[in-house]
Amino acid sequence: MQIRRVVPPLLIAAVVFAAACSGRNSNRTDSSPKFLQYYRQGEQLYFTHCSNCHQKNGTGLRQLYPPLANSDYLPNNRDEVICLIRFGTAEPLTVNGIQFVQPMPGIPSLTDLEIAQIVTYVYNTWTKDEGIIEVKDVSKVLRGCEGRKVVGNKR
Amino acid sequence: MIKLFPFITAVFLLILVACSTQKREERLPILGERIVEGSDTIYHTIADFQFVDQDSNIVTQETFKDKIYVADFFFTSCRTICPIMKTQMLRVYDSIKSDPEVLLLSHTIDPEYDTVGLLHDYANRLGVSSDKWHFVTGKQDDIFNIAQTSYFATAMADDAEPDGFIHSGAFLLVDKERRIRGKYDGTKDEDVNRLLRDIARLKKEYAN
Repeated sequence: MQIRRVVPPLLIAAVVFAAACSGRNSNRTDSSPKFLQYYRQGEQLYFTHCSNCHQKNGTGLRQLYPPLANSDYLPNNRDEVICLIRFGTAEPLTVNGIQFVQPMPGIPSLTDLEIAQIVTYVYNTWTKDEGIIEVKDVSKVLRGCEGRKVVGNKR
Repeated sequence: MIKLFPFITAVFLLILVACSTQKREERLPILGERIVEGSDTIYHTIADFQFVDQDSNIVTQETFKDKIYVADFFFTSCRTICPIMKTQMLRVYDSIKSDPEVLLLSHTIDPEYDTVGLLHDYANRLGVSSDKWHFVTGKQDDIFNIAQTSYFATAMADDAEPDGFIHSGAFLLVDKERRIRGKYDGTKDEDVNRLLRDIARLKKEYAN
């Protein structure tokens, strides 16, 4: 009798706890020092280069700058995201059914490793945890979009 | 008793002075230079201006007659502080959007690129109403000039900057007499909280 009364609240607490842990800032599959280093560096770089527009919490800004959190673009376009960070784009981009037209300036000064750290941060914060995105994989992707023109901040 | 009289008078005067200065403290300061002419004090005010907003409407000092307003300087292609300023200005907008006494005025400092059409799209995408929040463009010299001489805000072209301009992220609170009553860092949450409180304080001055 006693136990039966205690179990449901315990279960709820456990579920809430698990849900909380699977949210932002956690990667349950990878707690290796290398992953954590990528992730923390990526977070710093994100705050320096990305969060002015995309916001610290990834919500973007209304219909001006697209969100990274709950974005239907991110999961299926990882390679393109890697190229976008370096080269930017002046093409309209549709995210969650909204067309965004503000050009995204490229940041050619970022190294392959820094881009790997940023995407590791983004893809383990606002999408289903994807684990570390290694610099060798990022370099391979970047070779594929080599030669693109770097987009500035104007249309 | 007679000896006490001057003393009592002094105490009474002291209390009176204390109370009146306390009351003055509740008012917001008036920023800028002031000229005292006899019993009159002439304060720094915003000069006359004429710009065009996102709906192609002419915007002048008359647009802000009997209004309190918040002004800032930005440009749409800015990737440094402007997006943060706009996030913060949206907080101000949300708090005053149904208040007929308060308006917002954002000047672009890059009128060559920020055309009326582009400002229209920008404002639409922010989801704000144009009779409440005017995004204005005009002659670049006029905008730089009013920024520096009327609003004490830095705004100038600078090729060394990544986006080609140097400008401050200040929000300026202007009263119904076109006097600046507060200056705030539009990139900082706490400073914008202070602005929201000061708008309420300024409104009280006019309610009395």
